[in-house]
Amino acid sequence: MRMLEYEGKVILRKHGIATTPERVASSVEEALAAGQELGFPVVVKAQVLAGGRGKAGGVKLTKTPDELRTAATAILGMEIKGEKCEKLLIAKACGIEKEFYAGLTIDAGEGRAVLIFSTEGGVEIEDVAKTTPEKVRTLHLSSLALPRRHVILEEVRKAGVSGALLPKVATVVQQLVEAFFATDCSTLEINPLAVTSEGEVIALDAKAVIDDSALKRQNMVQTDSVPANVLERRAQAIGVNYVTLDGKVAIIAGGAGLAMATMDMVNFQNSTSASFMDLGGGISDKNMAEALRVSIATKGVQGIVINIFGGINNCHEIAKGIAEVIDTDKPAAKIVVKMRGHSQDEGWALLEAHKVPIIKYGTTRDAVQTLLAGL
Amino acid sequence: MSILLDEKSRIIIQGITGKQARLHVPYHLEYGANLIGGVTPGKAGEKVSGLPVFDTVRQARDELGDIDISMIMTPPFAVLDGALEAIDNGIKTLVILTEHMPVRDTMKIREAAKDAGCCVIGPNTIGMISPGKSKLGVMPGFLYSQGPVGIVSRSGTLTHESSSCLTIRGMGQSTCVGIGGDPVPGSPFEDILERFRHDDETKAVLMIGEIGGTAEERAADYIKRVGFEKPLVNFIAGVTSPPGKKMGHAGAIISGNAGTAESKHAALKAAGARVASTLEEAYDMLEEILRAQGFVPTPKNVGI
Repeated sequence: MRMLEYEGKVILRKHGIATTPERVASSVEEALAAGQELGFPVVVKAQVLAGGRGKAGGVKLTKTPDELRTAATAILGMEIKGEKCEKLLIAKACGIEKEFYAGLTIDAGEGRAVLIFSTEGGVEIEDVAKTTPEKVRTLHLSSLALPRRHVILEEVRKAGVSGALLPKVATVVQQLVEAFFATDCSTLEINPLAVTSEGEVIALDAKAVIDDSALKRQNMVQTDSVPANVLERRAQAIGVNYVTLDGKVAIIAGGAGLAMATMDMVNFQNSTSASFMDLGGGISDKNMAEALRVSIATKGVQGIVINIFGGINNCHEIAKGIAEVIDTDKPAAKIVVKMRGHSQDEGWALLEAHKVPIIKYGTTRDAVQTLLAGL
Repeated sequence: MSILLDEKSRIIIQGITGKQARLHVPYHLEYGANLIGGVTPGKAGEKVSGLPVFDTVRQARDELGDIDISMIMTPPFAVLDGALEAIDNGIKTLVILTEHMPVRDTMKIREAAKDAGCCVIGPNTIGMISPGKSKLGVMPGFLYSQGPVGIVSRSGTLTHESSSCLTIRGMGQSTCVGIGGDPVPGSPFEDILERFRHDDETKAVLMIGEIGGTAEERAADYIKRVGFEKPLVNFIAGVTSPPGKKMGHAGAIISGNAGTAESKHAALKAAGARVASTLEEAYDMLEEILRAQGFVPTPKNVGI
């Protein structure tokens, strides 16, 4: 789950990392009250997940209540890359001497977290890595034990930080590593990590992504993925992965790999996919019926290919769900089912009784061709 | 031979008293898997399909003797403790079926397993099967048959799909390993390929990947580095996925240039592997390879 800047900063502060004094505001009035409380000048920052909000006009420095009112009015409700800004962060402005970058992410290939540090902060770290790779230091970390302080000190020293700043910056990086692991982050990034004119090291921004599989033990609730589309919400409610595409054939498969391979086959056979659906494992007959109804309701659907294995799923349960929809809804879209595995004989018999074409021993290509021939 | 699992492998299940485990234990016994017991803390003395349940892996080991493999079917937040328990008790192969595991826990298990010389299959996998010998996981055994093709796959259902289609065409399998659909698997492709490389029964390998991530590119590096001697056919699912859309598996998303089918195909071809654009084409390639080695496929229908 991706978090807004102010939410990410809550994680940082919890682990001892300083930020500017700041308040969250959901209205112009709240923004003005925050400005008065913090004292001007303050920076008004749009709280959106999309990057590039500065360029889009979502960040403004204000010196007076009038300027704050104008900025807050303009930014609240602003759309940045299709995302509506519903909250503002009002942060006390500070003098900045230097801007560093510090972040952690997961290197899936290595199966380890990687710490990234650079003295070139305040810009896209990917750009720094491209133009001056020697200025970006990376260090793969053990997941079993936190790195010792001397290891962090050495990284930061080699990156070019020296003098009184070195121990201060190393402490922040150490706290960032602790926060990353303790909060089950898949990304945690401070850019810029600023050195103020008073010599303090503070986080001026925060980007945090929490591992969706760990939300429950972090006492967090998913907030970043409520689909706008009614059908996608219905699919989410029964725990199936559903993506609307723009074509003619709705794909329902058990398993993401099989669903993708089926979609590829539809495209290779010169047709197009209306939707992609991965049922996941252990689906009930009731949820199978709802999954099929969502697919039938998808815009532009002419045919549906259902590609199932009775492994973690059960062919009879799946067939019961399909049969229910055929009995009660009498769908116009053509349906072809390819299915084998646990309880295949019971499943096949039920579908045959409902006159659904079944591919028992054929391949995915056979199923797709059978469907397309009938459209 | 086969890899990782055969009829002699002595197996326990951690989390054997759970609903899914109770459902699948009889399928294992029916298939001939040498399942000798299970572990659920607090449930020692119970039986599941006649198998003894113990409180700890240590207790199971003391009572049953050597354990080769533990299959873990506990809820996601309990997997880490169970896996470390198995590793600490000297078990050298773990199969983790559980899905929705926090990646931090998987990384810890992977690191601890590496230090202990333990092979971890999964999480978020259908498991593995050495057809005709033993199976460990949720796959229906009758879709698989014994033979010369080794299969390693990120996708569970595409393992069922390819094995059943190969079985129907008369090409059986030595071992099929689902490495799991998570971005960080316990064992990457190359660890399994290395085992197939040294397995006499495996005459050709089918590797099934997906768009997203760099697992296939890393496998290509390995194939090139060791000069992988056996014929290797690759299939990547999701070639026609629109960029930016998340297709089920968390790993299967294309962002920027990384993880595209083109990049994977190019890397694998450059390493000397054959690349099929559909599974049907992959079966044709495998048949051609096996026939050239003197193998004659005998087609049959599955489940009959």
